[in-house]
Amino acid sequence: MKKKIVSALLVSTMVATAFAGCGSTADEATDSAQTQSTTETADSTAQETSGTSEDAIANLIAATDGTVNIDLWCSETEEYQTVMKKLCDDFEAQYPDVDFNITLGAVSEADMKDRVLEDVEAAADVFVFPDDQLEALVKAGALNEVAAQYTFDMNDTDTPATVEAGQYNGKQYGYPFTASNGYFLYYDSSQLSDEDVASWEALTAKADELGKEVGCEIANGWYLYGFFKGAGCELSENEDQSNNCDWNSATGLAAAESLQSIAASNSFKSYGNDDLLANLNDGKVIAYVSGTWNVNAFSDAYGDGYAATKLPTFDVDGKACQMASYSGYKFVGVNAYAENTGWSMLLAEYLTQASSQEAVYEATGEGPSNTEALSSASSPALDALAMQSEFAELQRVGGNYWSPAESLGKNILDGKVSQQVLDDAVAGITQAVTE
Amino acid sequence: MKNFFSKIGNSLKEFGQALAHGDIWVRLSLVIMGAGYFGRKQIMRGILMTLLQVGVLASIVKVFMPYMAKLNTLGTVQREEIFDPLTMQKTVNDYDNSLLILLYGIIGILVIIAFIALYISNIKTTYKIYKLQQQGEHINTFKDDVASFKNERFHITLLTLPSLGVILINVIPILFMVCIAFTNYDENHQPPTYLFTWVGIKNFVNLFTTSQTITFGYAFIRVLVWTLIWAVLATATTFLGGILLAQFINHEDTHFKSMWRTLFVITIGIPQFVTLLLISKMFGDNGIVNTFCANVGILDFFKNIGLLSPGDAFIPFLSKPGWVHVSIILVNIWVGIPYQMLIATGILMNIPSDQIESAKIDGANKFQIFWKITMPYVMFITGPSLIQSVIANINNFNVIYLLTSNYKTANMAMANSHAVEPDLLITWLFRLTNEYSNFKMASVIGIVTFIICAALSLLTFSRMISSDKEGVYR
Repeated sequence: MKKKIVSALLVSTMVATAFAGCGSTADEATDSAQTQSTTETADSTAQETSGTSEDAIANLIAATDGTVNIDLWCSETEEYQTVMKKLCDDFEAQYPDVDFNITLGAVSEADMKDRVLEDVEAAADVFVFPDDQLEALVKAGALNEVAAQYTFDMNDTDTPATVEAGQYNGKQYGYPFTASNGYFLYYDSSQLSDEDVASWEALTAKADELGKEVGCEIANGWYLYGFFKGAGCELSENEDQSNNCDWNSATGLAAAESLQSIAASNSFKSYGNDDLLANLNDGKVIAYVSGTWNVNAFSDAYGDGYAATKLPTFDVDGKACQMASYSGYKFVGVNAYAENTGWSMLLAEYLTQASSQEAVYEATGEGPSNTEALSSASSPALDALAMQSEFAELQRVGGNYWSPAESLGKNILDGKVSQQVLDDAVAGITQAVTE
Repeated sequence: MKNFFSKIGNSLKEFGQALAHGDIWVRLSLVIMGAGYFGRKQIMRGILMTLLQVGVLASIVKVFMPYMAKLNTLGTVQREEIFDPLTMQKTVNDYDNSLLILLYGIIGILVIIAFIALYISNIKTTYKIYKLQQQGEHINTFKDDVASFKNERFHITLLTLPSLGVILINVIPILFMVCIAFTNYDENHQPPTYLFTWVGIKNFVNLFTTSQTITFGYAFIRVLVWTLIWAVLATATTFLGGILLAQFINHEDTHFKSMWRTLFVITIGIPQFVTLLLISKMFGDNGIVNTFCANVGILDFFKNIGLLSPGDAFIPFLSKPGWVHVSIILVNIWVGIPYQMLIATGILMNIPSDQIESAKIDGANKFQIFWKITMPYVMFITGPSLIQSVIANINNFNVIYLLTSNYKTANMAMANSHAVEPDLLITWLFRLTNEYSNFKMASVIGIVTFIICAALSLLTFSRMISSDKEGVYR
């Protein structure tokens, strides 16, 4: 799968242009794809030419009577609200015969699952959610399966890794939206060289010397995973949502001890997001593991020195191991209890098509999952993500992972690593899911 | 309890007598509840009673029966949907919703119980009217009946709304929550898409079990003990502090009394959650208090006296067990004292001055007056409300949750049950439902909390009210 991502990134330009042609004038697909390859990007109103899709949409328009009410929930940030409002207006304009009433709601993506599951029947018809909530949403039966696609086929347009991340038990539930929700290393290149950011040992040594701070939020299972996975330990989810975990092996212990010695250096900090931002503005933090959601904070703080790269290595038993990570995606989902399933699906498709993803990228800086939109998007953060993508894994882990992992991270920070602690953590992570 | 059953027995006996000795109209009331009134020319009352009967029976059959019939399984048909790609329409089967079955089932049972009670008392009433007629006495007209609600039956008029409210917002939710504790309603069984069902007392067994993986028992004891310690300490400290503060402000030598009072009341004016969130930031591991302590040497002082180990980079006000417990109580004193001060001010102003005067004449000093006269008096007046505030503190969600929302436990056994050391039962319950959708365990914890609170208030109130201290202060 890792290879798939890389190859997808590399050939993105080619693929994108090919589909641009295919999308707008599919009758003469192959010809036009080659001749138009340098001209237009995908036509936003493009529709698949296969007769059934058009029939279906025509059927839907014919069957639609009165106002179509659709609630859409997405991030509360101003950038998001503005761009989504515009996209919704464009969507309405595309079907002049239908009377839409699309209402935008502001719900933080981190809380999306909780808000939707409060009352599935009353929740929004269409909503944007991060990939780690997919499982809980599917388990609660809140997501509508993407049984058919009408205006484009995500398997052709989006990176395979993203499409796969939107699946659960072999069924597609999410419409790929952004592919930049993973984490990587931000650093200040005016103070740190390429060698400094190559390994945690070098990084902490240099920061100690400068009297500055570097770090990663270890007391958080999402980041902690990167160290153990990088050392070669396994964490995976079983069919029944319990976990497999071998972090209490000899390798796991060595990794935990290595991490403990890194964390013990004066310059190493494990800040939560708020503390990170506060100390970043003070100019204390010169390198930190974070993601695109903080891109503006870091570029403002570092100015000309703003840079980002893959995660550093760390020594386990004298061997340098590349730190792994979770890749992160955002999806647009349709509520299984949506009032107008058909229109909600069409809106979800519209919001995730190439041109919409480009608009979202321009507004928010979040990397598109659409290969074509991705090819035109470039920034230090997205390049760093692409570099890290080789070592990034899709997050599939049962709910019992988080609390013990957080506690394990806290023990590592406190310098209390022992075989016993790891055994207890693994026991908690792998505990059976009670029926 | 015995009283209750003998009442029911009496009621049934009267019911039998009414049927045995009543005339045709009384007996007809068995079928048509208004019949007994029609026979005595109470037409309006008869119509109303019959309408009520029809309405209740119809709602039981039409609305509640379908749900009540499934109460034993909580539903068997899971939601299934078929999406037609061509028409883009979805067909959904006629599925069961366990949550609604449980809710409507409970309401249905309550309605039936209420209806049976009404039915029996209706027969008795018609029999009573029959006897009135036999004895040739006056039978109320509809006008008289309506008027009676303003006079001799005024208590019924007054209490109807409150008792309806109690049933709707207390009885039904509590019954509902109690029932959830006996089901497997958790993240894998969430209605409306999935069904949950009865599992007996398994959840209660889990709460008191401790093994390497099921650590609810371990976490529960820890959380419970801290909850009780917290409730007592939080109440005692704010109470004493409030009285002392009020006493100082009331002191004859204090100038600008109302200014001081206003200053303290202002802290109430600021929404509590804002203050608490700010405090949790300030006292965080990297907050300004820690920076300040490191700069002026308090951090080193703590290291020197052995409170912190030499390697610590900050004072863990809100991030280590022990520290966090003390911090929470201290912060709560600051947040809670103004309220107690206000209450105490009112009471202190009402202390009969003759007692204090005579104590002074007898040569008592200020401390003696405070401990021997003021405190007993205040304790007597505020006793019940103190119990109330202990219970309120058992459920004091705000202070704990807002101060420790970033707390991470290093105790694996706690973590495996999703609990952290500063958790009260109520915040643990919140985390279980909100973050882990574990409604069944949350219900179990809720029931235990309820039992503790109920037992505490019953015990203390009955002791307090029965004691005849009242005479002492007369």
